[in-house]
Amino acid sequence: MIWLWIVGIALVVLVLAFILYYNRFVTLENRIGNSLSQIDVQLKKRADLVPNLISSVKGYAKHEKGIMEDVTNARKAFMGAKTLEQKVVKGAELQHALKSILAIAENYPQLRANENFLQLQQELAAIEDKVAYARQHYNDSILSYNNLTKRFPGVLFASVYGKAPKKYLEIPKEERAVPKVSF
Amino acid sequence: MERLSFDDQIQKNKIKSFVLIIVIFTFFVVFGYVISMILDPSYFFIVMIFSIIFSLTYVLVGYYNSDKISLASVRAKPASQTEHRAFYHAAESMSIASGLPMPRLYIMESEEINAFASGRDPKNAVICITTGALKKLGKQELEGVIAHEMSHIANYDIRFMTVTTVLIGMVSIIAEMFLRSLWFSNGSNDRDGRVQIFLILLGIVFAILAPIAAQLVSLSISRKREYLADATGVKFTRYPAGLASALKKIKNEHVSDRERRHRVSKAMAPLFISDPFKRKISGLFATHPPLDERIKRLERM
Repeated sequence: MIWLWIVGIALVVLVLAFILYYNRFVTLENRIGNSLSQIDVQLKKRADLVPNLISSVKGYAKHEKGIMEDVTNARKAFMGAKTLEQKVVKGAELQHALKSILAIAENYPQLRANENFLQLQQELAAIEDKVAYARQHYNDSILSYNNLTKRFPGVLFASVYGKAPKKYLEIPKEERAVPKVSF
Repeated sequence: MERLSFDDQIQKNKIKSFVLIIVIFTFFVVFGYVISMILDPSYFFIVMIFSIIFSLTYVLVGYYNSDKISLASVRAKPASQTEHRAFYHAAESMSIASGLPMPRLYIMESEEINAFASGRDPKNAVICITTGALKKLGKQELEGVIAHEMSHIANYDIRFMTVTTVLIGMVSIIAEMFLRSLWFSNGSNDRDGRVQIFLILLGIVFAILAPIAAQLVSLSISRKREYLADATGVKFTRYPAGLASALKKIKNEHVSDRERRHRVSKAMAPLFISDPFKRKISGLFATHPPLDERIKRLERM
């Protein structure tokens, strides 16, 4: 009789484990999806600031048409990006162009004093922080998920449910470069 | 010196605080058993249930309204998005980094640098910071402080400390019931007189020491949770120097005594980032670990 109890309890525990691990996978995958869309939200916020930035710079820095065009084009390219990899790359290019515009403000003291421009500068800086944190959270979520799929006994359930470890977000090389400011 | 990893710190402190809770609980059960042996074995369940109900009710009311109570007790005002932009920015960044919803933000008038978090879960969370902190802290320091507070929310510390308080309450209630009942009880009559007296004395010693011991364990837990919040905060900002710098500023603050003693109730002390009473007591009776030790750990991360 005792045998029956032991087997029964073992079965219950096993079923519970299957359920718990499945749910855990789902939770962590959802967290990854959510953190990904957070990155999107912040990147889009940054792209949305561009028209405002252009119009406040235009009045003061008429000769810098080249750079302003670069930014507008970079923004268009970003809005057109569909996949994550594309968004990361196009976002990086937009970021690069934005840095150039902010850098040229060094040559135009009137622009630097313009309140609208200052506010935009602050907002862009704030969004940069948030993009960085959103990426960090995305990578943290991937870490939690990868830990679960690779550690024991999660690794067993992972193969049952067909869960493979995911890749981390990579920063494209252009973004690591600091723009040159010439005076 | 070997570098500390914040992940390890998080893990260690979670384990330590869990173990301490088990200690309190075991202590509570053993204590209840001993007391009921002295009074009457059949009292065991009654003693347990009674103390659980009392303690639980008392604490649950406080728990469910923890955010409202703590805000009201310091007369906090909601933070404004335009006036306190840096505060909002830091909180939004931490909300993204932690994956938690945005807590409600409040301000309290005080020259001292300090902040606290409250609320039973991330959805009902509040963070309150002093006007002094907003004035005196730089961007990275502010972010470090907010990260520490978000960590308390993320680690469900309010809930955790509430559980601890319930347990301590139960121990204290049993102790009190025992001490009161000595006046009335006959005790078990089937025992030798000397054993009886010995047991009673043991019971009295226990009853006096137990609440103190439980309180010490609870304070130890509180300190572990503070270290945990520091480490989790680093996990969010990935920049230990920010919080370390803020703690250094707190350490070197010279706030007038009159200003310090106002408005904060003793019960709120564990919620703040640094002891608002700046009590000279350190070691076993402190709710917060010493600032120097916290700064040292942060600098090793």
